Amino acid sequence: MNPQRRSAMPPASKLPAPRPQANVMLSRVAHSLYWMSRYIERAENIARLLEVNLQFILDFRGYDDAHLREHWGSILASSGDQELFDKHYESADSRSVTEFFAFDLRNTNSILSCVFSARENARMIRDQISVEMWETINELYLFLKSRSTADVWAAGPYEFFQDIKRNSHLFQGLTDSTYSRSEGWEFIQFGKFIERANKTARILDVKYHILLPSAGDVGGALDTAQWQAVLRSASALEAYRRFYVREILPWKVAEFLIFSDSFPRSIHFCVAQIDEFLRRILGESGARPRTEAARASRRLLADLQSLTIDEVLKDGLHEFLVEIAKSLERISEEVVQTTMFYLAESTQEEQQLQQQQQ
Amino acid sequence: MSLLSNPYETGDFFDEMYAAGGEVRPHYRSLVERLGSLPLPEFERRRAAVDLAFLRRGVTFTVYNDSEGTERIFPFDLIPRIIPAKEWSRLEAGLIQRITALNLFLHDLYHEQKIIKDGVIPAAQILSAKHFRREFMNFTVPHDIYVHICGTDLIRDGSGTYLVLEDNLRCPSGVSYMMENRAAMRRAFPNLFQSYGVRPVEAYPEMLLKSLLHIAPDRGDKPSVVLMTPGVFNSAYFEHCFLARQMGIPIVEGRDLLVQDARVYMRTTGGLLPVDVIYRRIDDDFLDPSVFRSDSMLGVPGLVAAYRAGNVALANSIGTGVADDKVIYAYVPKVIKYYLDQEPIIPNVPTYLASEPSDRKFILENMARLVVKSANEAGGYGMLIGPASSKEEVAAFRAKVAANPRNFIAQDPINLSRAPTWCDNRLEGRHIDLRPYVLCGEKTVVTPGGLTRVALRKGSLVVNSSQGGGSKDTWVIAGDK
Amino acid sequence: MLISLLHRTTFAYAGKAHDSFNEVRLRPVDDANQACRSFGLRTDPAANMRDYVDFYGNTVHYFDIAAGHDRLMIEAVSQVETTPNAARLPVPAVPNLAPGSERELVAEYLAGSHYVPLEVDVWKEAQDALAEGRPDVWSDVRHICRHVFKNFAYKPRSTGVATLATDAIRLRSGVCQDFAHVALGMCRCSEIPARYVSGYFMRSQRKHDDDEASHAWIEAYVPGYGWAAFDPTHDRPADERYIKVASGRDYADIRPVSGTYRGGKTHSLGVEVKVREAEAAGASR
Repeated sequence: MNPQRRSAMPPASKLPAPRPQANVMLSRVAHSLYWMSRYIERAENIARLLEVNLQFILDFRGYDDAHLREHWGSILASSGDQELFDKHYESADSRSVTEFFAFDLRNTNSILSCVFSARENARMIRDQISVEMWETINELYLFLKSRSTADVWAAGPYEFFQDIKRNSHLFQGLTDSTYSRSEGWEFIQFGKFIERANKTARILDVKYHILLPSAGDVGGALDTAQWQAVLRSASALEAYRRFYVREILPWKVAEFLIFSDSFPRSIHFCVAQIDEFLRRILGESGARPRTEAARASRRLLADLQSLTIDEVLKDGLHEFLVEIAKSLERISEEVVQTTMFYLAESTQEEQQLQQQQQ
Repeated sequence: MSLLSNPYETGDFFDEMYAAGGEVRPHYRSLVERLGSLPLPEFERRRAAVDLAFLRRGVTFTVYNDSEGTERIFPFDLIPRIIPAKEWSRLEAGLIQRITALNLFLHDLYHEQKIIKDGVIPAAQILSAKHFRREFMNFTVPHDIYVHICGTDLIRDGSGTYLVLEDNLRCPSGVSYMMENRAAMRRAFPNLFQSYGVRPVEAYPEMLLKSLLHIAPDRGDKPSVVLMTPGVFNSAYFEHCFLARQMGIPIVEGRDLLVQDARVYMRTTGGLLPVDVIYRRIDDDFLDPSVFRSDSMLGVPGLVAAYRAGNVALANSIGTGVADDKVIYAYVPKVIKYYLDQEPIIPNVPTYLASEPSDRKFILENMARLVVKSANEAGGYGMLIGPASSKEEVAAFRAKVAANPRNFIAQDPINLSRAPTWCDNRLEGRHIDLRPYVLCGEKTVVTPGGLTRVALRKGSLVVNSSQGGGSKDTWVIAGDK
Repeated sequence: MLISLLHRTTFAYAGKAHDSFNEVRLRPVDDANQACRSFGLRTDPAANMRDYVDFYGNTVHYFDIAAGHDRLMIEAVSQVETTPNAARLPVPAVPNLAPGSERELVAEYLAGSHYVPLEVDVWKEAQDALAEGRPDVWSDVRHICRHVFKNFAYKPRSTGVATLATDAIRLRSGVCQDFAHVALGMCRCSEIPARYVSGYFMRSQRKHDDDEASHAWIEAYVPGYGWAAFDPTHDRPADERYIKVASGRDYADIRPVSGTYRGGKTHSLGVEVKVREAEAAGASR
């Protein structure tokens, strides 16, 4: 259900003193809001990724087997689930990958799994969210439950992914318009942007790192088409074109997706939001950050504001993106630990009786 | 064609609206006038609007027959039950008398036990009561109040006399329906409402909060009050959320709280915040795994220790169930006499105890014409209605009683009163009861009215929500007409 | 007799334990037959101690330890002065308590309880013990206890802490806890109010490496006298060598240490008990 990491509560003496905050809420509720938001965003991102890449395969009929394998391999790599896929499926093709990413419950990162988890979290805080929000997420869940890969293939995958994206947008829009700003709004936004920044970094990293074109392919039709697919995976194609007008050049795509401060899916934009919401969550009002998370967020934001793409490319884009992922991980983990700490309620840590002896 | 075109027969039952000769009682006359002049389609329209509103607002309860719970709307009947002022003031006095005596009783049971030493109640009855909590002996509770919230079920017999059917001293529920019903009636019949001068019930959450604040450990600054719920899976979850929101207090589950050095804290995004008062809607058994059931995941380890140390207050207190045990119920008139030296203003239903040898013989021989109840089951479960049961059912129940007499009581069947209810497109008489809510804080306050539950099935006496019951708004009017 | 007591319990956990909530019943009572001159309780890790008196009149200490720890040590040290045998009143020979108000007050000890269900086997055992008649209540109690002493084998490890009286009757063996439970069941089936007592026994001769432990016996209600103690494991009345800590219906009511915690399972449990005669300050023995 919820991810794996449930650490033990810090001992009493080390717990932060209650922070002076206007809006304090139950940790458990904040936790559910955060994960509900992350899972919906994740589901949408996967849907988009799948859709774009299926479309790409269709468009580019000239793909041979090796390229196809490589193509799907890159998608699997971007999700980090290659090993899991290999365990359950023989080969990577359009159908098996769709099955794995859309419906496979063994994959905690499949659309179905994410929507299930989002709904579970929403259900736990049902009296907190609006009726419309609940109904939307519930309908998406029921819709997914009633579908299978076979149905999707028969009816056409495009419709299917549109439905998911539509519901996700609806949900986010409803949240925007019906969720009270004083009751955990920051946790919803924080979760969403953490997830989004992560995804953009991964999509970019995979393309640069894995789909390194051979010398002859650079700038060729295939390469360009792949970069277009990368942009489409982030819903960024039109925005990019408006910004850079004509050419799709790799370094420009990277620059756009990393540094743009106006495009809502760029890493910079996301981190700016993350920083803002994090400060509200942790009650950071001063000029100098007090917490580790705020410090890390501030440093990351500063880099994204001041570095240039040339500097990044010189030092290594892959390393840069990996560092970003690590920072995001650290930041989100600390926020979770500080505000949503749980006593370890995992199956290993049960309530125990002090045992007796005669 | 109006609602009243075909008045129903009152038969052997006391009817709330129709007196013996068929004429309408004074306090129902205005209602009858209004209903008489209301065209049927208009009535239907208002009824449908109310049902839809309930659905939208999610005024539901959950029925668990399998692992999947189904949410149902508690059926609401638009015809109010009306109580004139004089009748009500007597009920109010009787309820206050009863809860005062019960609080004294509980204090005595958990301290000197004088009532046992003076031979009024056999020790064995108390000790064998399922909800007598030995862990609670000698405990000090704020202001010696054990029951802060009480829901006592009242019925009327064939002569119209009110009787106490049972007390609910642990986690009485239904208040949210009372308030939702009132809101629905206001919308459906705004003018009628005004002209009757119905006494309001909207102040309940405010009064409840006041009683909760009254028991806070004295710590100077504003006490922190929370409502503790078993969670989304509980059938009354809607009510828990409703009350918490109305009072403006957080709603928490056991896992949101923790105890350190005998103090209770709430886990929040701003750190650990102290908790002073807990309005708990969780049974004693599940409250604290270090003292009660160790397998409970709903409670808070150490909560009883914090309570004992005087660092937190609970409403209702622990161990109140001994006083609403169906066997102890039979002794309540004696309890009132013992502590207050008064006769009960509202009598009990005459009750036979299977644990008493003379009664036991009577019960076993006459089971087919008695209502026999298990001492500790809720609502209509664990009950035999002799006159309505088959020979086999009676025989099976007789065996149960013979095997475990302490666990059973019997009563003569009462012809419950009936009230006009809209059933299958006509007004019919259906059996009802009444659950007024009593709050004990600095003062003891009875909310005017309460929840009138109605057995919707023809001839049925069972008013439980999960067994075909519904509810009505209850109007206590300022005058007598 | 002045007796020094040490009772140390150590829990070791597989991994860490935290949020530990505990109650201990280790303080010897003050009554007609003994006075607790001093009592000290400490734990490691340390905790704030609070106490109360429970339903049975036992002193209960309670504490919680939130922080993680891999072992919990609870140590009780006390000095108790027991009334010398010569100064104790003899138990009279009187008939058993008749139904009435006095019996009401001890009703708790006539009913079945968790470890002592009043089932047919227990009743039969009682009948066997009292086959020769019932002259007076104290005599009945002695006969019951002698019956247990003679017909049950003292065999450690044949039973466990969860063994019920009915199980022990089937096994025909047990330790002091079981002997007490069986005797209690037989008394209750014979309408004699009886309660479980936990405490210590001071052995007059002790070998160097003897395992010392807490001990269990029973008390029966004798009208006009009160609670009279008898030890079925040794077939003798409790005397100045017995120190009483707690009483209740059965073992469940007197657990020396009980509670819950979160974390790994209990890896081991060690109990160390020392019962020694102490030198009274400035007095000769």
